[in-house]
Amino acid sequence: MSEHIVIKRVSNFIIPFIQLFSLYVIAHGDISPGGGFQGGVIFGASIILYVIAFGMKDGRTRISEILTDFMNSIGVLLFAGIGLACVIMGGAYLEYTKLAGSAGEGHGSHAEHALHLAGHLGIYGIEIGIGIVVASVMITIFFETANTQDDD
Amino acid sequence: MFYWAAIIIILCAMLVLYRAIKGPIICDRVLAINAIGTKAVILIALSGYIFERPHFLDIALTYALINFIATIAFQKYREMGRLD
Repeated sequence: MSEHIVIKRVSNFIIPFIQLFSLYVIAHGDISPGGGFQGGVIFGASIILYVIAFGMKDGRTRISEILTDFMNSIGVLLFAGIGLACVIMGGAYLEYTKLAGSAGEGHGSHAEHALHLAGHLGIYGIEIGIGIVVASVMITIFFETANTQDDD
Repeated sequence: MFYWAAIIIILCAMLVLYRAIKGPIICDRVLAINAIGTKAVILIALSGYIFERPHFLDIALTYALINFIATIAFQKYREMGRLD
């Protein structure tokens, strides 16, 4: 491994900011361009930059194969779980306002507030799930295609 | 004024595109593509001002970041013949 010191230092400096920016994109997905998919792509790109700068072996110690497989499943489960929770609460699939339950029934500011909060939290949960699954799938694809050790 | 700035940026990108197509060696092409990416970042920021949507700055930031990663990946692949 003879990676250059400049690339290592710059990557070391810039990767935390990239990941912070990806979290910002996910968190502001409903009022600005972006969302779960874009934030996940940016997060995956930060890990890809790490692997390019520090090498495959170092990257695999940080992000193990078990972790990416686990994240793949967790993201999909979060998405499907929130959708099914809406069905269980008596609504359609991904009808977030039903998540408020009995607090959202009736009229008045309290019920309205509960419906608003349930909608926002539902969208946040969905976007976090999508972000996790997209980031881990990107990392998995990169690790599998960049791996030159076994070409079977 | 933003319109004229955008037009001039596009003309500059055309000039760099000539170098990317013609470029005798591969370093010319990589640097030209990198410069086009930088101009695209500025163009996205300018169009954010033209259409009065400041959120375009987020997109410009993302584009600059992906451009940086792509250039580093390409240069590493060229120098070492592998990405890992």
